[in-house]
Amino acid sequence: MSGSGKLGFWTKAAMIAAVYALLAIVLAPISYGMIQVRVAEALTILPYFTPAAIPGLFAGCMLANLYGGNGILDIVCGSLATLLAAYLTSRIKNRVLVPLPPVLINALVVGYVLHLVLGYSLYLTMLWVGAGQVAACYGLGYPLLLLLDKHHHLFN
Amino acid sequence: MKQSITLGQYLPGESFLHRLNPRFKLLSLALVLVTLFFVKTLGGMGLFLALLILFSILVRMPYSYLLRGLKPIFYIVIFTLIIYLFFTKGGAVLLRLGPITVEEAGVIQGAFVVGRLIALVLASILVTLTTTPLALTHGLEFFLTPLKLIRVPVAEITMIMTIALRFIPTLMEESRRLMLAQMARGADFETGNLFRKARNLTPLIVPLFVSAFRRADELAVAMEARGYRIGARRTRMREETVSWRDWVALAASGALLAAVIIAGI
Repeated sequence: MSGSGKLGFWTKAAMIAAVYALLAIVLAPISYGMIQVRVAEALTILPYFTPAAIPGLFAGCMLANLYGGNGILDIVCGSLATLLAAYLTSRIKNRVLVPLPPVLINALVVGYVLHLVLGYSLYLTMLWVGAGQVAACYGLGYPLLLLLDKHHHLFN
Repeated sequence: MKQSITLGQYLPGESFLHRLNPRFKLLSLALVLVTLFFVKTLGGMGLFLALLILFSILVRMPYSYLLRGLKPIFYIVIFTLIIYLFFTKGGAVLLRLGPITVEEAGVIQGAFVVGRLIALVLASILVTLTTTPLALTHGLEFFLTPLKLIRVPVAEITMIMTIALRFIPTLMEESRRLMLAQMARGADFETGNLFRKARNLTPLIVPLFVSAFRRADELAVAMEARGYRIGARRTRMREETVSWRDWVALAASGALLAAVIIAGI
Protein backbone atom coordinates (compact mmCIF):
# COMPACT_ATOMS: atom_id res chain seq x y z
CA MET A 1 0.00 0.00 0.00
CA SER A 2 1.43 3.36 -0.94
CA GLY A 3 -0.06 4.68 2.28
CA SER A 4 3.31 4.00 3.84
CA GLY A 5 4.93 6.55 1.51
CA LYS A 6 5.47 10.25 1.95
CA LEU A 7 1.78 11.10 1.86
CA GLY A 8 1.13 8.31 4.35
CA PHE A 9 3.46 10.03 6.76
CA TRP A 10 1.36 13.18 6.61
CA THR A 11 -2.03 11.48 6.84
CA LYS A 12 -0.74 9.57 9.87
CA ALA A 13 0.34 12.90 11.34
CA ALA A 14 -3.15 14.25 10.62
CA MET A 15 -4.75 11.39 12.57
CA ILE A 16 -2.43 11.98 15.52
CA ALA A 17 -3.44 15.65 15.38
CA ALA A 18 -7.10 14.66 15.35
CA VAL A 19 -6.69 12.32 18.34
CA TYR A 20 -4.80 14.98 20.30
CA ALA A 21 -7.37 17.67 19.55
CA LEU A 22 -10.19 15.23 20.32
CA LEU A 23 -8.74 14.36 23.74
CA ALA A 24 -8.00 18.00 24.53
CA ILE A 25 -11.44 19.23 23.51
CA VAL A 26 -13.54 16.39 24.94
CA LEU A 27 -11.65 16.36 28.24
CA ALA A 28 -11.62 20.15 28.30
CA PRO A 29 -12.74 20.62 31.92
CA ILE A 30 -9.48 19.08 33.11
CA SER A 31 -7.44 20.66 30.36
CA TYR A 32 -8.05 24.29 31.00
CA GLY A 33 -8.90 24.47 34.67
CA MET A 34 -6.87 25.75 37.55
CA ILE A 35 -4.21 23.06 37.45
CA GLN A 36 -3.72 22.36 33.83
CA VAL A 37 -3.71 18.61 33.43
CA ARG A 38 -4.31 18.30 29.75
CA VAL A 39 -4.82 14.57 29.34
CA ALA A 40 -3.99 14.90 25.65
CA GLU A 41 -0.43 15.77 26.70
CA ALA A 42 0.01 12.07 27.44
CA LEU A 43 0.31 11.70 23.66
CA THR A 44 3.53 13.72 23.70
CA ILE A 45 5.36 10.41 24.04
CA LEU A 46 4.35 9.46 20.48
CA PRO A 47 7.43 10.94 18.74
CA TYR A 48 9.35 8.10 20.42
CA PHE A 49 7.53 5.74 18.08
CA THR A 50 7.07 7.73 14.90
CA PRO A 51 8.41 11.05 13.58
CA ALA A 52 4.94 11.66 12.09
CA ALA A 53 3.93 12.60 15.63
CA ILE A 54 6.09 15.75 15.53
CA PRO A 55 3.93 17.67 13.02
CA GLY A 56 0.91 15.75 14.29
CA LEU A 57 1.20 16.98 17.87
CA PHE A 58 2.00 20.51 16.67
CA ALA A 59 -1.10 20.66 14.48
CA GLY A 60 -3.28 18.98 17.12
CA CYS A 61 -2.11 21.37 19.80
CA MET A 62 -2.80 24.34 17.56
CA LEU A 63 -6.33 23.10 16.86
CA ALA A 64 -6.97 22.42 20.54
CA ASN A 65 -5.68 25.85 21.51
CA LEU A 66 -7.86 27.52 18.89
CA TYR A 67 -10.79 26.30 20.96
CA GLY A 68 -9.18 26.52 24.36
CA GLY A 69 -10.22 30.10 24.84
CA ASN A 70 -6.86 31.14 26.24
CA GLY A 71 -6.13 33.43 23.37
CA ILE A 72 -3.64 33.79 20.59
CA LEU A 73 -0.65 33.75 22.95
CA ASP A 74 -1.53 30.20 23.84
CA ILE A 75 -2.09 29.26 20.20
CA VAL A 76 1.30 30.54 19.13
CA CYS A 77 3.54 29.95 22.16
CA GLY A 78 1.90 26.79 23.46
CA SER A 79 1.95 25.15 20.06
CA LEU A 80 5.54 26.13 19.32
CA ALA A 81 6.52 24.73 22.71
CA THR A 82 4.82 21.48 21.78
CA LEU A 83 6.64 21.41 18.44
CA LEU A 84 10.03 21.89 20.08
CA ALA A 85 9.25 19.33 22.79
CA ALA A 86 8.05 16.80 20.21
CA TYR A 87 11.24 17.22 18.21
CA LEU A 88 13.40 16.69 21.29
CA THR A 89 11.32 13.68 22.32
CA SER A 90 11.92 12.07 18.95
CA ARG A 91 15.68 12.18 19.59
CA ILE A 92 15.49 10.43 22.96
CA LYS A 93 16.12 6.71 23.10
CA ASN A 94 15.90 6.15 26.85
CA ARG A 95 12.27 5.39 27.68
CA VAL A 96 12.32 6.94 31.14
CA LEU A 97 13.46 10.27 29.71
CA VAL A 98 10.90 10.36 26.89
CA PRO A 99 8.24 12.35 28.79
CA LEU A 100 10.81 14.86 30.01
CA PRO A 101 10.98 17.39 27.11
CA PRO A 102 7.26 18.27 27.16
CA VAL A 103 7.47 18.80 30.93
CA LEU A 104 10.50 21.08 30.78
CA ILE A 105 9.71 23.02 27.61
CA ASN A 106 6.09 23.68 28.54
CA ALA A 107 6.98 24.68 32.09
CA LEU A 108 9.44 27.20 30.67
CA VAL A 109 7.43 28.58 27.75
CA VAL A 110 3.84 28.36 28.99
CA GLY A 111 5.00 29.31 32.48
CA TYR A 112 6.56 32.44 31.05
CA VAL A 113 3.40 33.30 29.09
CA LEU A 114 1.23 32.90 32.20
CA HIS A 115 3.70 35.02 34.14
CA LEU A 116 3.23 37.77 31.53
CA VAL A 117 -0.55 37.52 31.50
CA LEU A 118 -1.30 37.01 35.18
CA GLY A 119 1.65 38.80 36.72
CA TYR A 120 2.45 36.02 39.23
CA SER A 121 6.06 35.26 39.98
CA LEU A 122 7.77 33.33 37.21
CA TYR A 123 8.74 30.44 39.54
CA LEU A 124 5.14 30.02 40.64
CA THR A 125 3.74 29.81 37.11
CA MET A 126 6.54 27.51 35.94
CA LEU A 127 5.94 25.17 38.88
CA TRP A 128 2.22 25.35 38.26
CA VAL A 129 2.47 24.36 34.59
CA GLY A 130 5.25 21.87 35.33
CA ALA A 131 3.14 20.06 37.95
CA GLY A 132 0.30 19.62 35.48
CA GLN A 133 2.72 18.42 32.83
CA VAL A 134 4.37 15.90 35.16
CA ALA A 135 0.92 14.53 35.95
CA ALA A 136 0.00 14.24 32.27
CA CYS A 137 3.34 13.14 30.83
CA TYR A 138 4.65 10.87 33.59
CA GLY A 139 1.35 9.95 35.23
CA LEU A 140 -0.45 9.13 31.99
CA GLY A 141 2.07 9.36 29.15
CA TYR A 142 4.63 6.97 30.60
CA PRO A 143 2.12 4.12 31.14
CA LEU A 144 0.91 4.78 27.60
CA LEU A 145 4.49 4.54 26.36
CA LEU A 146 4.94 1.15 28.05
CA LEU A 147 1.63 -0.02 26.65
CA LEU A 148 2.30 1.11 23.09
CA ASP A 149 5.81 -0.34 23.23
CA LYS A 150 4.15 -3.75 23.27
CA HIS A 151 2.30 -2.80 20.08
CA HIS A 152 5.28 -1.36 18.29
CA HIS A 153 4.14 -2.75 14.93
CA LEU A 154 1.27 -0.22 15.00
CA PHE A 155 3.60 2.55 14.00
CA ASN A 156 5.50 0.83 11.20
CA MET B 1 -23.31 10.36 11.20
CA LYS B 2 -24.26 12.39 14.19
CA GLN B 3 -21.96 15.23 15.05
CA SER B 4 -22.34 15.56 18.77
CA ILE B 5 -19.68 18.12 19.49
CA THR B 6 -19.86 21.46 17.85
CA LEU B 7 -16.35 22.02 16.76
CA GLY B 8 -15.24 25.49 17.44
CA GLN B 9 -17.44 28.35 18.39
CA TYR B 10 -18.32 29.58 14.94
CA LEU B 11 -21.59 31.44 14.76
CA PRO B 12 -22.75 32.02 11.19
CA GLY B 13 -23.51 35.64 10.50
CA GLU B 14 -23.08 38.62 8.25
CA SER B 15 -21.42 41.17 10.55
CA PHE B 16 -18.37 43.13 9.42
CA LEU B 17 -16.18 40.89 11.58
CA HIS B 18 -17.53 37.83 9.78
CA ARG B 19 -16.61 39.32 6.45
CA LEU B 20 -13.00 40.13 7.27
CA ASN B 21 -10.27 38.11 5.63
CA PRO B 22 -8.99 35.61 8.24
CA ARG B 23 -5.38 36.74 7.84
CA PHE B 24 -6.28 40.35 8.47
CA LYS B 25 -8.53 39.34 11.29
CA LEU B 26 -5.78 37.37 13.03
CA LEU B 27 -3.27 40.15 12.38
CA SER B 28 -5.66 42.72 13.85
CA LEU B 29 -6.24 40.42 16.82
CA ALA B 30 -2.49 40.20 17.35
CA LEU B 31 -2.26 44.00 17.32
CA VAL B 32 -5.16 44.32 19.75
CA LEU B 33 -3.53 41.84 22.12
CA VAL B 34 -0.21 43.68 21.93
CA THR B 35 -2.12 46.88 22.71
CA LEU B 36 -3.61 45.15 25.72
CA PHE B 37 -0.15 44.74 27.20
CA PHE B 38 0.56 48.44 26.75
CA VAL B 39 -2.52 49.51 28.73
CA LYS B 40 -1.22 50.62 32.12
CA THR B 41 -4.15 52.02 34.08
CA LEU B 42 -7.38 50.54 35.40
CA GLY B 43 -9.35 53.22 33.56
CA GLY B 44 -7.63 52.31 30.29
CA MET B 45 -8.43 48.65 30.87
CA GLY B 46 -12.04 49.57 31.53
CA LEU B 47 -12.22 51.49 28.24
CA PHE B 48 -10.64 48.57 26.45
CA LEU B 49 -13.15 46.11 27.90
CA ALA B 50 -16.01 48.47 27.02
CA LEU B 51 -14.76 48.54 23.42
CA LEU B 52 -14.66 44.74 23.26
CA ILE B 53 -18.12 44.48 24.79
CA LEU B 54 -19.38 46.94 22.19
CA PHE B 55 -17.96 44.67 19.48
CA SER B 56 -19.61 41.63 21.09
CA ILE B 57 -22.94 43.39 20.94
CA LEU B 58 -22.36 44.43 17.33
CA VAL B 59 -21.69 40.85 16.21
CA ARG B 60 -24.65 39.70 18.34
CA MET B 61 -22.64 37.34 20.49
CA PRO B 62 -25.09 35.17 22.49
CA TYR B 63 -24.75 35.27 26.26
CA SER B 64 -24.13 31.54 26.44
CA TYR B 65 -21.05 31.84 24.18
CA LEU B 66 -19.55 34.43 26.43
CA LEU B 67 -20.15 32.30 29.53
CA ARG B 68 -18.76 29.19 27.85
CA GLY B 69 -15.70 31.11 26.77
CA LEU B 70 -15.07 32.55 30.21
CA LYS B 71 -15.71 29.32 32.10
CA PRO B 72 -12.21 27.92 31.58
CA ILE B 73 -10.63 30.93 33.25
CA PHE B 74 -13.12 31.08 36.12
CA TYR B 75 -10.79 29.49 38.69
CA ILE B 76 -7.83 31.48 37.49
CA VAL B 77 -9.86 34.67 37.94
CA ILE B 78 -10.93 33.71 41.48
CA PHE B 79 -7.41 32.64 42.46
CA THR B 80 -5.91 35.81 41.00
CA LEU B 81 -8.40 38.02 42.80
CA ILE B 82 -7.67 36.32 46.13
CA ILE B 83 -3.90 36.62 45.66
CA TYR B 84 -4.08 40.30 44.72
CA LEU B 85 -6.73 41.30 47.27
CA PHE B 86 -4.94 39.84 50.25
CA PHE B 87 -1.28 39.99 49.33
CA THR B 88 -0.81 43.28 47.54
CA LYS B 89 -0.38 46.09 50.01
CA GLY B 90 -0.50 49.85 49.62
CA GLY B 91 -2.94 52.74 49.85
CA ALA B 92 -5.90 52.98 52.16
CA VAL B 93 -7.08 49.97 54.15
CA LEU B 94 -10.53 49.07 52.83
CA LEU B 95 -11.32 46.04 54.94
CA ARG B 96 -9.83 44.60 58.11
CA LEU B 97 -10.45 41.01 59.25
CA GLY B 98 -8.22 40.51 62.25
CA PRO B 99 -4.64 40.42 60.97
CA ILE B 100 -5.74 40.31 57.33
CA THR B 101 -6.32 43.53 55.45
CA VAL B 102 -7.57 44.35 52.01
CA GLU B 103 -5.87 47.48 50.73
CA GLU B 104 -6.54 49.85 47.88
CA ALA B 105 -3.56 48.81 45.74
CA GLY B 106 -4.65 45.17 45.94
CA VAL B 107 -8.14 45.95 44.71
CA ILE B 108 -6.86 48.10 41.85
CA GLN B 109 -4.19 45.65 40.70
CA GLY B 110 -6.48 42.65 41.09
CA ALA B 111 -9.18 44.31 38.99
CA PHE B 112 -6.57 45.32 36.43
CA VAL B 113 -5.12 41.82 35.96
CA VAL B 114 -8.54 40.17 35.88
CA GLY B 115 -9.73 42.81 33.39
CA ARG B 116 -6.75 42.03 31.16
CA LEU B 117 -7.43 38.31 31.36
CA ILE B 118 -11.09 38.76 30.44
CA ALA B 119 -10.17 41.14 27.61
CA LEU B 120 -7.68 38.59 26.29
CA VAL B 121 -10.29 35.86 26.20
CA LEU B 122 -13.05 38.12 24.91
CA ALA B 123 -10.91 39.33 21.98
CA SER B 124 -10.09 35.75 21.06
CA ILE B 125 -13.72 34.66 21.30
CA LEU B 126 -14.68 37.50 18.96
CA VAL B 127 -12.37 35.99 16.35
CA THR B 128 -13.29 32.32 16.77
CA LEU B 129 -16.96 33.28 16.86
CA THR B 130 -16.82 35.01 13.50
CA THR B 131 -14.42 32.73 11.62
CA THR B 132 -15.00 29.15 10.46
CA PRO B 133 -12.42 26.65 11.73
CA LEU B 134 -11.28 26.10 8.15
CA ALA B 135 -10.77 29.81 7.52
CA LEU B 136 -8.90 30.07 10.84
CA THR B 137 -6.58 27.30 9.73
CA HIS B 138 -5.89 29.09 6.46
CA GLY B 139 -5.29 32.30 8.35
CA LEU B 140 -2.84 30.54 10.66
CA GLU B 141 -0.88 29.25 7.68
CA PHE B 142 0.13 32.82 6.96
CA PHE B 143 1.46 33.27 10.48
CA LEU B 144 3.42 30.06 10.33
CA THR B 145 5.20 31.16 7.15
CA PRO B 146 8.31 32.41 9.03
CA LEU B 147 8.81 28.84 10.23
CA LYS B 148 9.67 27.91 6.65
CA LEU B 149 13.03 29.51 7.34
CA ILE B 150 13.87 26.70 9.75
CA ARG B 151 12.52 24.21 7.20
CA VAL B 152 9.23 23.51 8.92
CA PRO B 153 6.87 22.24 6.19
CA VAL B 154 4.14 24.81 6.78
CA ALA B 155 1.89 23.89 3.83
CA GLU B 156 1.77 20.25 4.93
CA ILE B 157 1.06 21.21 8.52
CA THR B 158 -1.90 23.31 7.44
CA MET B 159 -3.05 20.43 5.27
CA ILE B 160 -3.01 18.01 8.19
CA MET B 161 -4.84 20.54 10.37
CA THR B 162 -7.59 20.64 7.78
CA ILE B 163 -7.71 16.85 7.62
CA ALA B 164 -7.70 16.60 11.40
CA LEU B 165 -10.64 19.02 11.59
CA ARG B 166 -12.54 16.79 9.22
CA PHE B 167 -11.72 13.63 11.17
CA ILE B 168 -12.30 14.76 14.76
CA PRO B 169 -16.05 13.97 14.60
CA THR B 170 -15.30 10.66 12.87
CA LEU B 171 -12.81 9.60 15.52
CA MET B 172 -15.17 10.82 18.21
CA GLU B 173 -17.85 8.51 16.87
CA GLU B 174 -15.28 5.73 16.56
CA SER B 175 -14.13 6.10 20.15
CA ARG B 176 -17.69 6.01 21.36
CA ARG B 177 -18.26 2.77 19.47
CA LEU B 178 -15.04 1.29 20.85
CA MET B 179 -16.06 2.36 24.33
CA LEU B 180 -19.39 0.51 24.05
CA ALA B 181 -17.63 -2.54 22.62
CA GLN B 182 -15.12 -2.61 25.49
CA MET B 183 -17.81 -1.99 28.09
CA ALA B 184 -19.66 -5.01 26.72
CA ARG B 185 -16.46 -6.92 27.48
CA GLY B 186 -16.39 -5.60 31.03
CA ALA B 187 -14.16 -2.55 30.72
CA ASP B 188 -14.84 0.16 33.27
CA PHE B 189 -14.76 3.78 32.18
CA GLU B 190 -16.93 5.28 34.88
CA THR B 191 -15.48 4.74 38.35
CA GLY B 192 -12.37 5.99 40.13
CA ASN B 193 -10.60 9.29 40.33
CA LEU B 194 -9.21 11.25 37.42
CA PHE B 195 -6.06 9.19 37.01
CA ARG B 196 -7.85 5.89 37.38
CA LYS B 197 -10.33 6.97 34.75
CA ALA B 198 -7.61 8.14 32.42
CA ARG B 199 -5.70 4.89 32.86
CA ASN B 200 -8.83 2.92 32.18
CA LEU B 201 -8.87 4.55 28.78
CA THR B 202 -6.01 2.30 27.63
CA PRO B 203 -8.27 -0.42 26.14
CA LEU B 204 -9.62 2.45 24.08
CA ILE B 205 -6.37 4.06 22.98
CA VAL B 206 -4.77 1.09 21.22
CA PRO B 207 -7.77 0.18 19.03
CA LEU B 208 -8.36 3.89 18.38
CA PHE B 209 -4.85 4.22 16.99
CA VAL B 210 -5.25 1.03 14.96
CA SER B 211 -8.39 2.40 13.35
CA ALA B 212 -7.02 5.93 12.95
CA PHE B 213 -3.86 4.71 11.23
CA ARG B 214 -5.88 2.44 8.96
CA ARG B 215 -7.88 5.48 7.94
CA ALA B 216 -4.63 7.37 7.40
CA ASP B 217 -3.43 4.70 4.98
CA GLU B 218 -6.71 4.69 3.08
CA LEU B 219 -6.75 8.46 2.95
CA ALA B 220 -3.20 8.57 1.57
CA VAL B 221 -4.15 6.14 -1.19
CA ALA B 222 -7.28 8.11 -1.99
CA MET B 223 -5.38 11.39 -2.12
CA GLU B 224 -2.66 9.94 -4.30
CA ALA B 225 -5.26 8.48 -6.66
CA ARG B 226 -6.70 11.98 -7.05
CA GLY B 227 -3.36 13.43 -7.94
CA TYR B 228 -2.32 15.01 -4.65
CA ARG B 229 1.44 15.43 -4.58
CA ILE B 230 3.43 16.64 -1.59
CA GLY B 231 5.17 19.92 -2.35
CA ALA B 232 3.23 20.64 -5.55
CA ARG B 233 1.75 24.11 -6.00
CA ARG B 234 -1.87 24.08 -5.00
CA THR B 235 -4.89 26.26 -5.48
CA ARG B 236 -7.84 26.61 -3.13
CA MET B 237 -11.45 25.83 -3.79
CA ARG B 238 -12.34 29.22 -2.33
CA GLU B 239 -9.75 31.92 -2.72
CA GLU B 240 -9.88 34.51 0.02
CA THR B 241 -10.10 38.06 -1.20
CA VAL B 242 -8.79 41.20 0.46
CA SER B 243 -11.11 44.20 0.48
CA TRP B 244 -10.96 47.73 1.81
CA ARG B 245 -12.64 46.50 5.01
CA ASP B 246 -9.60 44.42 5.84
CA TRP B 247 -7.24 47.37 5.50
CA VAL B 248 -9.57 49.51 7.59
CA ALA B 249 -9.64 46.89 10.35
CA LEU B 250 -5.87 46.59 10.33
CA ALA B 251 -5.38 50.37 10.31
CA ALA B 252 -7.87 50.77 13.16
CA SER B 253 -6.03 48.19 15.27
CA GLY B 254 -2.74 49.90 14.54
CA ALA B 255 -4.24 53.27 15.45
CA LEU B 256 -5.53 51.82 18.71
CA LEU B 257 -2.04 50.62 19.60
CA ALA B 258 -0.55 54.02 18.75
CA ALA B 259 -3.26 55.83 20.71
CA VAL B 260 -2.70 53.72 23.82
CA ILE B 261 1.06 54.21 23.68
CA ILE B 262 0.82 57.98 23.10
CA ALA B 263 -1.94 58.60 25.65
CA GLY B 264 -0.17 56.35 28.15
CA ILE B 265 -3.41 55.10 29.68
